[in-house]
Amino acid sequence: MSSSLTLSTEPTAQRPRRLLVALGGALIVATYLFLVIVQPAEIAGGMGSVASLVSLFGFLGGGALLVGGILPTLTTSSLVVMPLGIALNIAIGQIAGSLGMQIYLDAIGTVLVAVLAGPAAGAATGALSNAIWGLFNPFALPFAAGAALIGLLAGLAAKHGAFRRVYLAPLAGLVVGAIGGLVAAPVAVFMFGAAGTFGTNAIIAVFRSMGDKLLVAATKQGLLSDSVDKIVVFVVVALIVYALPQRAVRQFPFARTYRVLGARSGERTAQPAAGNDRVA
Amino acid sequence: MRRRRIYNPLTELLAAVLLVVLVLVVNRWEFSLAVLVLVVVPAVVSSGRPRQIGLAVAVVAGPLLLSSLLLHGLFYPEGSTVLADLGPARVTAEGLSFAALMGLRMSVFTGVLLTAAMTLEVPELLATMTHRGWNRKLVFVVGSAVGLIPHVALRARQITRAQQARGLVVGRGPLARLRALLTVTTPLVIGLLVDASERNHMLGARGFSSTVARTSYLPDTDTPGQRIARRVMLAVTAVFSTAWLILPVVTG
Repeated sequence: MSSSLTLSTEPTAQRPRRLLVALGGALIVATYLFLVIVQPAEIAGGMGSVASLVSLFGFLGGGALLVGGILPTLTTSSLVVMPLGIALNIAIGQIAGSLGMQIYLDAIGTVLVAVLAGPAAGAATGALSNAIWGLFNPFALPFAAGAALIGLLAGLAAKHGAFRRVYLAPLAGLVVGAIGGLVAAPVAVFMFGAAGTFGTNAIIAVFRSMGDKLLVAATKQGLLSDSVDKIVVFVVVALIVYALPQRAVRQFPFARTYRVLGARSGERTAQPAAGNDRVA
Repeated sequence: MRRRRIYNPLTELLAAVLLVVLVLVVNRWEFSLAVLVLVVVPAVVSSGRPRQIGLAVAVVAGPLLLSSLLLHGLFYPEGSTVLADLGPARVTAEGLSFAALMGLRMSVFTGVLLTAAMTLEVPELLATMTHRGWNRKLVFVVGSAVGLIPHVALRARQITRAQQARGLVVGRGPLARLRALLTVTTPLVIGLLVDASERNHMLGARGFSSTVARTSYLPDTDTPGQRIARRVMLAVTAVFSTAWLILPVVTG
């Protein structure tokens, strides 16, 4: 891609965007800590409306701030691949959901974009794909922040070489999935009383029958399902990107610069990225 | 098919979201039920396509409601009023009422948002976003993604048929399923990426990355009155929610 298509990156314009990204990240972390540390007593009785409001606004607002901070910094080559990732997420996730599977498979597009275009593009793809999916399936909406986190972590994993060897991908998927499951569980509990597909609810029911609190049971289920889900997703994405023609990979500065796919990434470039595809 | 369209999509979406917020704030099954009966059902019926929306709501919310009823109805260790003891599973009154509260909330959530989304015309929404000066990259990503979804689904079906014609049979084991998933997604992604790289060049040639204000082919259906109405709705919801949440704390 020619550098004439990248946007100007004056430091004055970058600072407020970094601030937005930092604010969004801080809001998501604060929301999670609030839900887990301050609120667990409320689950035993009924739902506190404060908890569900905080989870809705904290995670959605954090996701929106992240997208607002990230989008202006992305190059056109990253932007055109984001709708593709979003459409893949929704199309495959919808199928997996309607089959009642224990895993979701709704992050294939996010991880794909993160591997090719970097953590920032991955995070924005995750958040936006859940926001758009909300138009067809409103239950996807509150999980936008979790999806952004998956994209961010997948991009960071790719940057540090998790996709250079096929056996590293499932390991990265395990770690990313465990973190994603931790973040998604309070959203599911406080918004919908942990309702999910029959597959995921069967797992929660097992933990509940052992006497676990709902948040604990949902977190255990999230750790289980999300880890398995992300292992599968990371392996699928790794196998897909290995099968891509070099020409298709080489159009992404992120994949080229950080040699995301090892020897398959195309020619080596010595200088670091132009700063556009890196997360602030 | 003629659809009811009175307000700008942005106004309708905001109204739907604020209604969901109110249901979360009030958090009582009576209020959720009232919203469901008095707002959601009339909105679906008068939407001009009640059958499609009703079906979509049933498909999206039905399995969730049923599985949530099974989960909380049978497994609710906090419940003390046991209605039936089935070994490891116990039907408790608290579990059933919790399932009812969550079920009503989920029904309102799905009904309101799906009615707003399914009567929404995406081009009109995008035009409004452009006229209001939203980030053009956001408008592009949203519009392009919404347009791509049916395309991706169609292509996936075509590739599946082509692979079946070449002898693809989906086995029962997880590995066989993974292989089937890969035989469909790999050509799908390669094709989409080639399309995306072409789009990249075309957008570049048409000045996508320039920063001047955008115009839209579609006329602006937003009115100053609706802009004010949106702000008023936001303010009223914010004041009501704050009052509802803080008053019980202050008065003890």
